[in-house]
Amino acid sequence: MFDVDWLSLAVPIAYLGILLGSLATFSSLYRKRKAHKAASLEPWFPAHLQRDIYFSLLHLEPSTTSTKEKKAPAIPDSIFKASLLRRAAEDIRRIMALRSQKQALTTLVQRGSVGDDLWQRFQRAEKEMEDEVKDVVTEANAYVPGWGQTIFQSANEMMNNDIYRKRMDDQQKKLEEERQWWSKKKTSIQEGFMKELNEGSTASTDEAKTTSTTTKSFEAASTTPAAGTSVQGSDDDAVLVEAENSNTPASPQSAKKKKSKGKK
Amino acid sequence: MASEIDIYNQYPLYMEPSTKALSLPTSSAQTPSQTAAINTELEELNQLHRALISLDPPNIPPAPLPINPKRSAQISKLRDSANAAHRKSNYDEAIKLYSYAIDMGLSRPGWEPVGVAREELSGLYANRAQAHMALQAWPEALVDAKASVDSKPVGNVKAWWRIAKCLAEMSRYEEARKFLHKSLDIEGKDSEGGKELFALLREVDRALLRGLSA
Repeated sequence: MFDVDWLSLAVPIAYLGILLGSLATFSSLYRKRKAHKAASLEPWFPAHLQRDIYFSLLHLEPSTTSTKEKKAPAIPDSIFKASLLRRAAEDIRRIMALRSQKQALTTLVQRGSVGDDLWQRFQRAEKEMEDEVKDVVTEANAYVPGWGQTIFQSANEMMNNDIYRKRMDDQQKKLEEERQWWSKKKTSIQEGFMKELNEGSTASTDEAKTTSTTTKSFEAASTTPAAGTSVQGSDDDAVLVEAENSNTPASPQSAKKKKSKGKK
Repeated sequence: MASEIDIYNQYPLYMEPSTKALSLPTSSAQTPSQTAAINTELEELNQLHRALISLDPPNIPPAPLPINPKRSAQISKLRDSANAAHRKSNYDEAIKLYSYAIDMGLSRPGWEPVGVAREELSGLYANRAQAHMALQAWPEALVDAKASVDSKPVGNVKAWWRIAKCLAEMSRYEEARKFLHKSLDIEGKDSEGGKELFALLREVDRALLRGLSA
Protein backbone atom coordinates (compact mmCIF):
# COMPACT_ATOMS: atom_id res chain seq x y z
CA MET A 1 0.00 0.00 0.00
CA PHE A 2 2.79 2.32 0.98
CA ASP A 3 4.89 1.90 -2.14
CA VAL A 4 1.90 2.06 -4.46
CA ASP A 5 1.06 5.45 -3.01
CA TRP A 6 4.50 6.86 -3.88
CA LEU A 7 4.30 5.79 -7.42
CA SER A 8 0.80 7.12 -8.06
CA LEU A 9 1.60 10.41 -6.28
CA ALA A 10 4.74 11.04 -8.27
CA VAL A 11 2.81 11.98 -11.38
CA PRO A 12 0.58 14.75 -9.89
CA ILE A 13 3.47 16.09 -7.84
CA ALA A 14 5.65 16.29 -10.92
CA TYR A 15 2.81 17.92 -12.79
CA LEU A 16 2.32 20.51 -10.07
CA GLY A 17 6.03 21.13 -9.84
CA ILE A 18 6.41 21.74 -13.56
CA LEU A 19 3.35 23.95 -13.66
CA LEU A 20 4.40 26.14 -10.74
CA GLY A 21 7.97 26.27 -11.95
CA SER A 22 7.02 27.41 -15.41
CA LEU A 23 4.60 29.98 -14.04
CA ALA A 24 7.26 31.35 -11.71
CA THR A 25 9.84 31.64 -14.49
CA PHE A 26 7.36 33.27 -16.78
CA SER A 27 6.26 35.82 -14.22
CA SER A 28 9.79 36.69 -13.18
CA LEU A 29 10.89 37.03 -16.79
CA TYR A 30 7.85 39.11 -17.64
CA ARG A 31 8.35 41.42 -14.70
CA LYS A 32 12.01 41.83 -15.39
CA ARG A 33 11.32 42.73 -18.97
CA LYS A 34 8.62 45.19 -18.01
CA ALA A 35 10.85 46.86 -15.44
CA HIS A 36 13.62 47.06 -17.97
CA LYS A 37 11.29 48.60 -20.51
CA ALA A 38 10.01 51.15 -18.01
CA ALA A 39 13.53 52.05 -17.00
CA SER A 40 14.67 52.41 -20.57
CA LEU A 41 11.87 54.88 -21.34
CA GLU A 42 13.16 58.33 -21.84
CA PRO A 43 12.37 60.70 -18.97
CA TRP A 44 9.80 63.36 -19.79
CA PHE A 45 11.90 66.25 -18.63
CA PRO A 46 15.62 66.85 -18.92
CA ALA A 47 17.72 66.60 -15.78
CA HIS A 48 16.46 68.73 -12.94
CA LEU A 49 19.41 71.06 -12.58
CA GLN A 50 18.15 72.93 -9.54
CA ARG A 51 17.44 69.71 -7.73
CA ASP A 52 20.86 68.35 -8.63
CA ILE A 53 22.50 71.43 -7.24
CA TYR A 54 20.48 71.26 -4.06
CA PHE A 55 21.46 67.67 -3.44
CA SER A 56 25.04 68.35 -4.44
CA LEU A 57 25.15 71.03 -1.79
CA LEU A 58 23.68 68.68 0.79
CA HIS A 59 26.29 66.07 0.01
CA LEU A 60 29.14 68.45 -0.54
CA GLU A 61 31.36 66.99 2.14
CA PRO A 62 31.01 63.26 2.13
CA SER A 63 34.24 62.87 4.08
CA THR A 64 32.72 64.28 7.23
CA THR A 65 29.78 62.49 8.81
CA SER A 66 26.64 63.24 6.91
CA THR A 67 24.69 64.85 9.70
CA LYS A 68 23.44 68.33 9.07
CA GLU A 69 24.98 69.78 12.21
CA LYS A 70 28.43 68.96 10.90
CA LYS A 71 27.93 70.78 7.65
CA ALA A 72 26.09 73.81 8.92
CA PRO A 73 29.25 75.86 9.52
CA ALA A 74 30.57 75.06 6.05
CA ILE A 75 27.50 76.04 4.06
CA PRO A 76 25.06 78.45 5.66
CA ASP A 77 21.42 77.55 5.84
CA SER A 78 20.49 80.52 3.72
CA ILE A 79 22.17 78.96 0.71
CA PHE A 80 20.17 75.81 1.19
CA LYS A 81 17.03 77.86 1.42
CA ALA A 82 17.85 79.78 -1.72
CA SER A 83 18.64 76.58 -3.52
CA LEU A 84 15.40 75.01 -2.34
CA LEU A 85 13.48 78.02 -3.61
CA ARG A 86 15.08 77.70 -7.01
CA ARG A 87 14.15 74.06 -6.97
CA ALA A 88 10.54 74.88 -6.13
CA ALA A 89 10.39 77.40 -8.95
CA GLU A 90 11.60 74.83 -11.43
CA ASP A 91 9.06 72.35 -10.05
CA ILE A 92 6.28 74.80 -10.70
CA ARG A 93 7.45 75.30 -14.24
CA ARG A 94 7.37 71.56 -14.77
CA ILE A 95 3.99 71.09 -13.16
CA MET A 96 2.54 73.80 -15.38
CA ALA A 97 4.05 72.11 -18.40
CA LEU A 98 2.55 68.77 -17.38
CA ARG A 99 -0.84 70.31 -16.78
CA SER A 100 -0.94 72.01 -20.13
CA GLN A 101 0.20 68.89 -21.94
CA LYS A 102 -2.15 66.50 -20.20
CA GLN A 103 -5.32 67.46 -22.02
CA ALA A 104 -3.83 67.20 -25.45
CA LEU A 105 -2.06 63.98 -24.64
CA THR A 106 -5.18 62.23 -23.31
CA THR A 107 -7.11 62.96 -26.47
CA LEU A 108 -4.23 61.77 -28.57
CA VAL A 109 -3.93 58.55 -26.58
CA GLN A 110 -7.70 57.95 -26.73
CA ARG A 111 -7.65 58.30 -30.47
CA GLY A 112 -4.66 56.07 -30.63
CA SER A 113 -2.61 58.67 -32.42
CA VAL A 114 0.40 58.25 -30.16
CA GLY A 115 2.04 55.21 -28.69
CA ASP A 116 1.37 53.80 -25.28
CA ASP A 117 4.89 54.37 -24.05
CA LEU A 118 4.46 58.10 -24.44
CA TRP A 119 1.56 57.89 -22.06
CA GLN A 120 3.61 55.80 -19.67
CA ARG A 121 6.40 58.30 -19.76
CA PHE A 122 3.95 61.04 -19.03
CA GLN A 123 2.43 59.22 -16.10
CA ARG A 124 5.81 58.52 -14.67
CA ALA A 125 6.71 62.19 -14.94
CA GLU A 126 3.50 63.07 -13.13
CA LYS A 127 4.25 60.66 -10.34
CA GLU A 128 7.78 61.94 -10.04
CA MET A 129 6.60 65.51 -9.79
CA GLU A 130 4.15 64.56 -7.07
CA ASP A 131 6.92 63.01 -5.03
CA GLU A 132 9.17 65.93 -5.78
CA VAL A 133 6.65 68.44 -4.50
CA LYS A 134 6.10 66.45 -1.33
CA ASP A 135 9.83 66.28 -0.83
CA VAL A 136 10.26 70.00 -1.25
CA VAL A 137 7.48 70.72 1.23
CA THR A 138 9.00 68.48 3.88
CA GLU A 139 12.42 69.99 3.32
CA ALA A 140 11.00 73.50 3.60
CA ASN A 141 9.22 72.62 6.81
CA ALA A 142 12.46 71.25 8.15
CA TYR A 143 14.19 74.61 7.68
CA VAL A 144 11.41 76.80 9.01
CA PRO A 145 8.20 75.33 10.37
CA GLY A 146 5.28 76.36 8.20
CA TRP A 147 7.38 77.38 5.22
CA GLY A 148 6.02 74.44 3.29
CA GLN A 149 2.70 76.20 2.94
CA THR A 150 4.10 79.30 1.29
CA ILE A 151 7.18 78.12 -0.55
CA PHE A 152 5.28 77.27 -3.70
CA GLN A 153 3.36 80.52 -3.63
CA SER A 154 6.63 82.39 -3.46
CA ALA A 155 8.14 80.21 -6.14
CA ASN A 156 5.18 80.80 -8.41
CA GLU A 157 5.47 84.55 -8.08
CA MET A 158 9.17 84.30 -8.67
CA MET A 159 8.60 82.43 -11.87
CA ASN A 160 5.99 84.89 -13.11
CA ASN A 161 8.21 87.80 -12.19
CA ASP A 162 11.04 86.21 -14.09
CA ILE A 163 8.92 85.86 -17.18
CA TYR A 164 7.72 89.43 -16.89
CA ARG A 165 11.22 90.85 -16.39
CA LYS A 166 12.44 88.96 -19.40
CA ARG A 167 9.69 90.44 -21.54
CA MET A 168 10.46 93.93 -20.38
CA ASP A 169 14.09 93.29 -21.11
CA ASP A 170 13.23 92.20 -24.62
CA GLN A 171 11.16 95.31 -25.13
CA GLN A 172 13.99 97.56 -24.05
CA LYS A 173 16.45 95.68 -26.21
CA LYS A 174 14.57 96.82 -29.29
CA LEU A 175 15.39 100.41 -28.40
CA GLU A 176 18.80 100.44 -30.06
CA GLU A 177 17.38 99.07 -33.27
CA GLU A 178 14.54 101.57 -33.33
CA ARG A 179 16.90 104.40 -32.57
CA GLN A 180 19.25 103.51 -35.39
CA TRP A 181 16.40 103.15 -37.81
CA TRP A 182 15.01 106.53 -36.84
CA SER A 183 18.34 108.35 -36.97
CA LYS A 184 18.95 106.93 -40.41
CA LYS A 185 15.53 107.98 -41.55
CA LYS A 186 15.87 111.38 -39.95
CA THR A 187 19.15 112.14 -41.68
CA SER A 188 17.68 111.01 -44.97
CA ILE A 189 14.73 113.31 -44.45
CA GLN A 190 16.98 116.20 -43.56
CA GLU A 191 19.19 115.57 -46.54
CA GLY A 192 16.13 115.51 -48.70
CA PHE A 193 15.04 118.84 -47.36
CA MET A 194 18.44 120.39 -47.76
CA LYS A 195 18.68 119.16 -51.33
CA GLU A 196 15.29 120.51 -52.12
CA LEU A 197 16.13 123.84 -50.57
CA ASN A 198 19.24 124.05 -52.75
CA GLU A 199 17.06 123.10 -55.64
CA GLY A 200 14.71 125.95 -55.00
CA SER A 201 17.49 128.55 -55.04
CA THR A 202 19.34 127.38 -58.13
CA ALA A 203 16.22 125.99 -59.84
CA SER A 204 17.55 124.32 -62.96
CA THR A 205 15.95 121.31 -64.57
CA ASP A 206 19.17 119.34 -64.77
CA GLU A 207 19.72 119.56 -61.04
CA ALA A 208 16.14 118.64 -60.38
CA LYS A 209 16.85 115.39 -62.09
CA THR A 210 19.79 114.62 -59.82
CA THR A 211 17.76 115.35 -56.73
CA SER A 212 15.04 113.08 -57.82
CA THR A 213 17.55 110.26 -58.00
CA THR A 214 19.26 111.00 -54.70
CA THR A 215 16.09 111.52 -52.73
CA LYS A 216 14.51 108.45 -54.19
CA SER A 217 14.29 106.39 -51.06
CA PHE A 218 13.08 109.09 -48.75
CA GLU A 219 10.56 110.83 -50.87
CA ALA A 220 7.79 109.38 -48.74
CA ALA A 221 9.79 110.05 -45.62
CA SER A 222 9.55 113.73 -46.25
CA THR A 223 5.93 113.61 -45.15
CA THR A 224 7.32 113.39 -41.61
CA PRO A 225 8.46 116.85 -40.61
CA ALA A 226 11.98 117.20 -39.36
CA ALA A 227 10.92 119.73 -36.78
CA GLY A 228 7.15 119.74 -37.04
CA THR A 229 4.92 118.77 -34.14
CA SER A 230 1.86 117.23 -35.72
CA VAL A 231 0.98 115.11 -38.66
CA GLN A 232 -1.22 117.90 -39.91
CA GLY A 233 1.72 120.24 -40.22
CA SER A 234 3.72 117.69 -42.10
CA ASP A 235 1.00 117.42 -44.65
CA ASP A 236 1.41 121.03 -45.66
CA ASP A 237 5.15 120.63 -45.88
CA ALA A 238 4.82 117.70 -48.19
CA VAL A 239 2.49 119.61 -50.43
CA LEU A 240 4.92 122.51 -50.56
CA VAL A 241 7.76 120.20 -51.46
CA GLU A 242 5.82 118.68 -54.24
CA ALA A 243 4.86 122.06 -55.59
CA GLU A 244 8.50 123.01 -55.68
CA ASN A 245 9.43 119.84 -57.40
CA SER A 246 6.66 120.01 -59.94
CA ASN A 247 8.99 120.58 -62.86
CA THR A 248 10.21 116.99 -62.57
CA PRO A 249 8.15 114.38 -64.36
CA ALA A 250 5.27 113.06 -62.26
CA SER A 251 5.32 109.36 -63.04
CA PRO A 252 8.72 108.43 -61.49
CA GLN A 253 7.72 110.17 -58.27
CA SER A 254 4.73 108.02 -57.65
CA ALA A 255 6.86 104.99 -58.30
CA LYS A 256 9.38 106.17 -55.76
CA LYS A 257 6.75 106.60 -53.11
CA LYS A 258 5.54 103.11 -53.52
CA LYS A 259 9.03 101.78 -53.35
CA SER A 260 9.85 103.35 -50.03
CA LYS A 261 6.51 102.27 -48.61
CA GLY A 262 7.31 98.74 -49.51
CA LYS A 263 10.71 98.97 -47.87
CA LYS A 264 9.16 99.33 -44.49
CA MET B 1 9.79 55.35 -6.36
CA ALA B 2 11.62 56.14 -3.17
CA SER B 3 14.81 55.04 -4.77
CA GLU B 4 14.17 57.10 -7.88
CA ILE B 5 13.71 60.31 -6.02
CA ASP B 6 17.08 59.89 -4.39
CA ILE B 7 18.89 59.74 -7.70
CA TYR B 8 20.60 62.93 -8.71
CA ASN B 9 23.67 64.21 -10.51
CA GLN B 10 26.44 65.29 -8.23
CA TYR B 11 28.22 68.48 -9.19
CA PRO B 12 31.50 69.36 -7.52
CA LEU B 13 30.41 72.79 -6.34
CA TYR B 14 32.64 75.16 -4.51
CA MET B 15 31.72 77.94 -2.12
CA GLU B 16 33.82 81.04 -1.65
CA PRO B 17 34.11 81.14 2.15
CA SER B 18 34.07 84.92 2.49
CA THR B 19 31.40 85.88 -0.03
CA LYS B 20 29.43 82.65 0.28
CA ALA B 21 29.13 82.63 -3.50
CA LEU B 22 28.87 79.26 -5.16
CA SER B 23 30.78 78.36 -8.26
CA LEU B 24 31.69 75.38 -10.35
CA PRO B 25 35.41 74.58 -10.52
CA THR B 26 36.65 74.79 -14.07
CA SER B 27 38.28 71.38 -14.11
CA SER B 28 35.13 69.30 -13.90
CA ALA B 29 33.87 66.66 -16.23
CA GLN B 30 30.86 68.39 -17.78
CA THR B 31 30.26 69.29 -21.37
CA PRO B 32 30.60 72.99 -22.18
CA SER B 33 26.86 73.45 -22.59
CA GLN B 34 26.22 71.81 -19.24
CA THR B 35 28.82 73.96 -17.60
CA ALA B 36 27.23 77.06 -19.05
CA ALA B 37 23.80 76.01 -17.79
CA ILE B 38 25.14 75.27 -14.33
CA ASN B 39 26.98 78.54 -14.18
CA THR B 40 23.94 80.61 -15.13
CA GLU B 41 21.89 78.70 -12.60
CA LEU B 42 24.50 79.27 -9.91
CA GLU B 43 24.57 82.94 -10.80
CA GLU B 44 20.82 83.18 -10.23
CA LEU B 45 21.14 81.17 -7.07
CA ASN B 46 23.78 83.52 -5.71
CA GLN B 47 21.59 86.50 -6.50
CA LEU B 48 18.66 84.92 -4.75
CA HIS B 49 20.86 84.09 -1.83
CA ARG B 50 21.96 87.69 -1.47
CA ALA B 51 18.33 88.75 -1.57
CA LEU B 52 17.47 86.23 1.11
CA ILE B 53 20.29 87.31 3.39
CA SER B 54 19.02 90.86 3.36
CA LEU B 55 15.71 89.67 4.81
CA ASP B 56 14.93 89.42 8.47
CA PRO B 57 15.45 86.06 10.08
CA PRO B 58 14.36 83.33 9.49
CA ASN B 59 15.51 84.42 6.03
CA ILE B 60 12.70 82.96 4.04
CA PRO B 61 10.59 84.91 1.59
CA PRO B 62 7.39 86.04 3.25
CA ALA B 63 4.03 85.09 1.83
CA PRO B 64 3.28 87.10 -1.32
CA LEU B 65 0.72 89.21 0.45
CA PRO B 66 0.85 91.64 2.15
CA ILE B 67 3.79 93.26 0.40
CA ASN B 68 6.43 95.35 2.03
CA PRO B 69 5.22 98.97 1.67
CA LYS B 70 8.70 100.46 1.85
CA ARG B 71 9.64 100.02 -1.78
CA SER B 72 6.22 101.05 -3.05
CA ALA B 73 6.47 104.25 -1.04
CA GLN B 74 9.92 104.99 -2.47
CA ILE B 75 8.74 104.37 -6.00
CA SER B 76 5.68 106.55 -5.67
CA LYS B 77 7.82 109.29 -4.18
CA LEU B 78 10.17 109.14 -7.16
CA ARG B 79 7.22 109.15 -9.51
CA ASP B 80 5.73 112.20 -7.84
CA SER B 81 8.93 114.18 -8.16
CA ALA B 82 9.26 113.04 -11.76
CA ASN B 83 5.72 114.17 -12.47
CA ALA B 84 6.54 117.53 -10.92
CA ALA B 85 9.60 117.84 -13.14
CA HIS B 86 7.49 116.96 -16.15
CA ARG B 87 4.96 119.62 -15.27
CA LYS B 88 7.76 122.17 -15.12
CA SER B 89 8.77 121.03 -18.63
CA ASN B 90 12.04 119.74 -17.23
CA TYR B 91 11.80 116.62 -19.35
CA ASP B 92 15.39 115.37 -19.03
CA GLU B 93 15.09 115.44 -15.28
CA ALA B 94 11.71 113.71 -15.46
CA ILE B 95 13.12 110.95 -17.66
CA LYS B 96 15.98 110.42 -15.25
CA LEU B 97 13.66 110.17 -12.27
CA TYR B 98 11.27 107.87 -14.09
CA SER B 99 14.21 105.67 -15.02
CA TYR B 100 15.24 105.44 -11.38
CA ALA B 101 11.71 104.51 -10.43
CA ILE B 102 11.55 101.90 -13.19
CA ASP B 103 14.83 100.38 -12.08
CA MET B 104 13.54 100.23 -8.57
CA GLY B 105 10.33 98.61 -9.71
CA LEU B 106 12.23 96.06 -11.77
CA SER B 107 14.43 95.15 -8.84
CA ARG B 108 11.50 94.24 -6.65
CA PRO B 109 12.24 90.89 -5.05
CA GLY B 110 10.85 88.09 -7.14
CA TRP B 111 8.52 86.65 -4.55
CA GLU B 112 6.35 89.71 -4.48
CA PRO B 113 3.21 89.43 -6.56
CA VAL B 114 3.84 90.08 -10.22
CA GLY B 115 0.58 91.98 -10.52
CA VAL B 116 1.87 94.75 -8.29
CA ALA B 117 5.02 95.15 -10.35
CA ARG B 118 3.06 95.17 -13.60
CA GLU B 119 0.64 97.82 -12.43
CA GLU B 120 3.39 100.03 -11.13
CA LEU B 121 5.70 99.67 -14.11
CA SER B 122 2.99 100.15 -16.71
CA GLY B 123 2.33 103.59 -15.26
CA LEU B 124 5.99 104.45 -15.05
CA TYR B 125 6.75 103.35 -18.58
CA ALA B 126 3.77 105.28 -19.91
CA ASN B 127 4.91 108.41 -18.12
CA ARG B 128 8.45 108.06 -19.36
CA ALA B 129 7.09 107.63 -22.85
CA GLN B 130 5.26 110.89 -22.46
CA ALA B 131 8.41 112.66 -21.36
CA HIS B 132 10.28 111.21 -24.33
CA MET B 133 7.52 112.37 -26.62
CA ALA B 134 7.81 115.87 -25.25
CA LEU B 135 11.45 115.76 -26.35
CA GLN B 136 10.40 114.28 -29.71
CA ALA B 137 12.48 111.20 -29.00
CA TRP B 138 10.02 108.98 -30.83
CA PRO B 139 11.90 105.65 -30.80
CA GLU B 140 12.49 105.84 -27.05
CA ALA B 141 8.91 106.81 -26.46
CA LEU B 142 7.68 104.02 -28.69
CA VAL B 143 9.65 101.38 -26.84
CA ASP B 144 8.47 102.64 -23.46
CA ALA B 145 4.86 102.83 -24.53
CA LYS B 146 5.06 99.32 -25.89
CA ALA B 147 6.53 98.11 -22.60
CA SER B 148 3.70 99.81 -20.76
CA VAL B 149 1.07 98.17 -22.90
CA ASP B 150 2.80 94.84 -22.51
CA SER B 151 2.66 95.23 -18.75
CA LYS B 152 -0.98 96.14 -18.68
CA PRO B 153 -2.95 95.81 -21.91
CA VAL B 154 -6.36 96.65 -20.51
CA GLY B 155 -7.27 100.05 -19.15
CA ASN B 156 -4.16 101.66 -20.55
CA VAL B 157 -5.58 103.90 -23.27
CA LYS B 158 -2.90 106.53 -22.90
CA ALA B 159 -0.09 104.12 -23.62
CA TRP B 160 -1.92 102.71 -26.65
CA TRP B 161 -2.46 106.19 -27.97
CA ARG B 162 1.21 107.02 -27.42
CA ILE B 163 2.36 104.01 -29.39
CA ALA B 164 0.22 105.00 -32.32
CA LYS B 165 1.25 108.62 -32.06
CA CYS B 166 4.95 107.76 -32.08
CA LEU B 167 4.50 105.51 -35.07
CA ALA B 168 2.57 108.18 -36.89
CA GLU B 169 5.25 110.72 -36.12
CA MET B 170 7.81 108.41 -37.64
CA SER B 171 5.43 108.06 -40.62
CA ARG B 172 4.90 104.36 -40.00
CA TYR B 173 1.19 104.71 -40.62
CA GLU B 174 0.45 101.08 -41.37
CA GLU B 175 1.79 99.99 -38.00
CA ALA B 176 0.07 102.86 -36.25
CA ARG B 177 -3.25 101.83 -37.74
CA LYS B 178 -2.74 98.24 -36.66
CA PHE B 179 -2.08 99.30 -33.09
CA LEU B 180 -5.05 101.66 -33.08
CA HIS B 181 -7.42 98.96 -34.25
CA LYS B 182 -6.06 96.61 -31.64
CA SER B 183 -6.42 99.15 -28.89
CA LEU B 184 -9.98 99.96 -29.95
CA ASP B 185 -10.76 96.25 -29.79
CA ILE B 186 -9.34 95.96 -26.31
CA GLU B 187 -10.50 99.19 -24.79
CA GLY B 188 -13.82 99.52 -26.56
CA LYS B 189 -15.03 102.58 -28.37
CA ASP B 190 -16.83 104.11 -25.42
CA SER B 191 -13.87 104.00 -23.08
CA GLU B 192 -12.31 107.06 -21.59
CA GLY B 193 -9.81 107.75 -24.32
CA GLY B 194 -11.80 106.20 -27.15
CA LYS B 195 -12.44 109.57 -28.72
CA GLU B 196 -8.74 110.38 -28.87
CA LEU B 197 -7.98 107.01 -30.35
CA PHE B 198 -10.57 107.59 -33.03
CA ALA B 199 -9.24 111.03 -33.81
CA LEU B 200 -5.76 109.64 -34.24
CA LEU B 201 -7.09 106.80 -36.35
CA ARG B 202 -8.75 109.26 -38.70
CA GLU B 203 -5.54 111.22 -38.97
CA VAL B 204 -3.55 108.11 -39.73
CA ASP B 205 -6.06 106.96 -42.31
CA ARG B 206 -5.88 110.31 -44.00
CA ALA B 207 -2.09 110.11 -44.08
CA LEU B 208 -2.29 106.63 -45.55
CA LEU B 209 -4.69 107.77 -48.24
CA ARG B 210 -2.41 110.61 -49.07
CA GLY B 211 0.48 108.21 -49.38
CA LEU B 212 -1.52 106.10 -51.80
CA SER B 213 -2.83 108.92 -53.94
CA ALA B 214 0.42 110.84 -54.14
